[in-house]
Amino acid sequence: MKNKTLKLIPAALPLLLFSVNTWGQAAGEAASSPYFYDSMLSYGMLALAAVVFIAALAALYNLLNIMVKVQQIRIYQEQGIEAYVEEMKKPQQSFFQRLYKRMTNVVPVEKEEDILFDHEYDGIRELDNVLPPWWVAMFYITIAFGVVYYTYYHFTGAGPSSTEEYKMEMERAEKAVQAYLSTQSNQVDETNVELLTDEASIAAGKAIYEGKGTCFTCHGMFGEGGIGPNMTDQYWIHGGGIKDLFKTIKYGVPEKGMISWKDQLKPAEMHQVASYILTLQGTNPPNPKEPQGDLYQQVDNAAPADSSSTEVKGQDGGTIGMSE
Amino acid sequence: MAQVEKFSYDNAIVRKFAYASIIFGVVGILVGLIAALQLVFPSLNLGIPETTFGRIRPLHTNAAIFAFVGNGIFMGVYYSLQRLLKTRMFSKALSEFHFWGWQAIILAAAITLPLGITSAKEYAELEWPIDLGIALVWIAFGINMFGTILKRREQHLYVAIWFYIATWVTVTVLHVGNNLELPVSLWKSYPLFAGVQDALLQWWYGHNAVAFFLTTPYLGLMYYFLPKAANRPVYSYKLSIIHFWALIFIYIWAGPHHLLYTSLPDWAQSLGTVFSIMLIAPSWGGMLNGLLTLRGAWDRVRQDPVLKFMVVAVTAYGMATFEGPMLSVKSVNAISHYTDWTIGHVHIGTLGWNGFLTFGILYWMLPRLFNTKLYSQKLANAHFWIGTMGILFYAIPLYWAGWTQSLMWKQFTPDGFLQYGNFLETVTQIIPMYGLRALGGTLYVAGYFVMLYNLIKTVQSGSFIGDEAAEAPPASTWAVHTGKEHWHRWIERRPVQMLIAATIAILIGGIVEIFPMVMIDDQVPKIESVTPYTPLELEGRDIYIREGCLGCHSQMVRPFRSETERYGEYSKSGEFIYDRPFLWGSKRTGPDLHRVGGKYPDSWHYNHMLDPQTTSPGSIMPPYPWLLRDELSTKSTAAKIRTLQTLGTPYPDGYDQIAVDDLQKQAKIVANSLRKDGIDDEKLEEKEIIALIAYLQRLGTDIKPKPQAGN
Repeated sequence: MKNKTLKLIPAALPLLLFSVNTWGQAAGEAASSPYFYDSMLSYGMLALAAVVFIAALAALYNLLNIMVKVQQIRIYQEQGIEAYVEEMKKPQQSFFQRLYKRMTNVVPVEKEEDILFDHEYDGIRELDNVLPPWWVAMFYITIAFGVVYYTYYHFTGAGPSSTEEYKMEMERAEKAVQAYLSTQSNQVDETNVELLTDEASIAAGKAIYEGKGTCFTCHGMFGEGGIGPNMTDQYWIHGGGIKDLFKTIKYGVPEKGMISWKDQLKPAEMHQVASYILTLQGTNPPNPKEPQGDLYQQVDNAAPADSSSTEVKGQDGGTIGMSE
Repeated sequence: MAQVEKFSYDNAIVRKFAYASIIFGVVGILVGLIAALQLVFPSLNLGIPETTFGRIRPLHTNAAIFAFVGNGIFMGVYYSLQRLLKTRMFSKALSEFHFWGWQAIILAAAITLPLGITSAKEYAELEWPIDLGIALVWIAFGINMFGTILKRREQHLYVAIWFYIATWVTVTVLHVGNNLELPVSLWKSYPLFAGVQDALLQWWYGHNAVAFFLTTPYLGLMYYFLPKAANRPVYSYKLSIIHFWALIFIYIWAGPHHLLYTSLPDWAQSLGTVFSIMLIAPSWGGMLNGLLTLRGAWDRVRQDPVLKFMVVAVTAYGMATFEGPMLSVKSVNAISHYTDWTIGHVHIGTLGWNGFLTFGILYWMLPRLFNTKLYSQKLANAHFWIGTMGILFYAIPLYWAGWTQSLMWKQFTPDGFLQYGNFLETVTQIIPMYGLRALGGTLYVAGYFVMLYNLIKTVQSGSFIGDEAAEAPPASTWAVHTGKEHWHRWIERRPVQMLIAATIAILIGGIVEIFPMVMIDDQVPKIESVTPYTPLELEGRDIYIREGCLGCHSQMVRPFRSETERYGEYSKSGEFIYDRPFLWGSKRTGPDLHRVGGKYPDSWHYNHMLDPQTTSPGSIMPPYPWLLRDELSTKSTAAKIRTLQTLGTPYPDGYDQIAVDDLQKQAKIVANSLRKDGIDDEKLEEKEIIALIAYLQRLGTDIKPKPQAGN
């Protein structure tokens, strides 16, 4: 009986392998997703699915075992072999009990006198239990893992190096971002940005100014200036139009200490904060920093085509006169 | 008629180490608690440099590892060694020298670390004069131990002693290897190796300080005290043999798992990974032999606090040694490294394994030293539960914090931006977890005080047995072994061969990993634009080291999209060739600083050091006003240059003569840039802050294209 049921396991194995294969594909897709939480989640679901599947397999195995046993007893009864009937009615150890016994191979406490060494150290005796087979198996598996892992990454050249992994990650991300952006309406940049005046955008800009943008640390809580220039007067070093501000925020002026924000703020956020800063014009906050740069002639925002500087020095030629 | 010799065990030395362990345990844990609270309330440093997080963190780790656990090791070794070998300690004088020498080192550490005297190598922070002292005391301990072994009355060495021998020889090798340094002055030295080589050596040491100071000696103690307390035979002699040799051979290889995804060459990283995985079974061998020894005694585990402590200790050991290999898998490490997950992991080991095993031993041993009973089983049980809750409240919030922060670091928006571009957001998010962790620490301390009271009462109720009478047959009665026996019995009779075999086992891994790294030039590809630090930057770097900045800031941008987006180009090994010592760090409580150079204006740094809250609201970095106040000492600048020249840094000949002039010139430039931004201080160019700013602005800029003037 034992042999019969054991044969079921090899039969089930290809099935298992097949399913693992499909899962692997799912995992591969998840890993290529740029959203970290998503891939974490799919891996978790995958592990859960695997556990459930294995548990189901074990339950099925036990069920089959019982059915075979019942059938066997019935056959023996029909044939009138009483001794077998007695034997089969005895409680059998379950699969897990037998597995446990095989994997631990331990001498029971009651019989340990048989395997007690005769040496002792300050009263400490030692038993001659064998190495737990499951432990030995684990040791061999980890060694095999080590050999395979090292071979894969360093002898076959198949496994990617840390920097190759990085390149692949960047390429994947680039593609995903491009794919996403292609679905979005056109992005704000310094060539097409327009002043925002709605309350929500200005409030959002203020929040960025006083929060994640940390603009206030250099330009003052009210735009009065500090390490950086005053932004409430009409004097600007790099131009005072919305397009100028957007550009200064986006690319920074590193040699003067203004850092580039394009990797930390989204275009929409730079748009909002630039618009907010222009609301500070003429607010006359306390402790203003002396004016720096050139007087910027406010151009009517409604004026078409060009809101850039009218100052003599001019800005980057590319933006002047740019029309949409 | 067997002849029997009468002798006595020296309990006085055991008592001394026990008291020292108990006292330094309180100190170590309390300093840890203060450090934990400072992460929630940065002002708890009271504005004093000596009590600021960067300086007391090493104080905490050193006190916990070398003072609490160290004295605990010696307590257990001196107690068990005499009894397992049926002899008194070899030399009373060496025992005393060992004890007082070790306490002197602890005292020196307690003074120098808050003063900022540090070599910046984690768990090896002490400067070279103290390193020499450690070597001296450790050798005294070795002579005393081997003397005792040689005059033993027990023919065979028990497994506990194998572990003691391996511990002694490996710690010797590690201590010497990681402290190869050239003194500049009495309290300052630079390491022999730089950058990535220094990093490999440090984590070969750092990892094996865990292995051979926190693990193998405690396994030895477990093998003595657990079967004694449970009064049960050790489960499997065969398992002892296999797991001992496998453990010491494999452990030494695993160091590079602290450097995954860093600039360390991939081949070395992978060795760290695979040997960590292979370490699971040997580690668990120890846990199994401990837990299975309790077969037939589990009913008593429910009653006896000693066994309870030991069971949790061994279980914590098993958990930590499974988790460790998991954290060494590169994809897991990509999440865990630099976060509080690692901190949670090590505290399972230290609070659970080392702490609880020490407590169990103390509860078992002290009443025996004083010929009495434990004052209160109830209080011991109370300590057990409070301590266990403490560990849980300590570890779980930190796991949570680690996962949260790491996921926040890596989260991108669909349009390709970091979701949490401001590092600070990821810090303020986990501060509540830091609060809970401090609560866990408080519970653990509370339990400790319960034990203190219980042990004091116990000691008061008994009378100390300074010399415990014992008797055993002399060595002359040893049998000659010719018949059939287990093959391993042979080496158990031969301590010298045992020492040699253990030494070979622990040397192989280190040699295979370290020698190619330091001998073959190709391992660190040269980058032309990388030049030595200027004298001012060098002094700034030493301030960075003094203040323990690397306790919270890494200098290692890993090749991940989430890191290159946040910090800039990933770090290359060639950039660190003048870094003595390397300062990659192991934890990011604050952001990575390798690419901070040029990111902010000089005045930003000035204001940030004066009060981090002004530039980064919500920051938990403490203010460093003393850097703005104190004048930079240039007394040893020339000596530093000379030392670095000796070590191979290519300053021009005679540069030490003009180094201070150069330093002052550069200081003037930095000071003027600060003045331009309205910072007013007459003696600005003489202040320490100038040097620190110069260093920070230099960081990671060597490979950046230089900004063109008048852009």
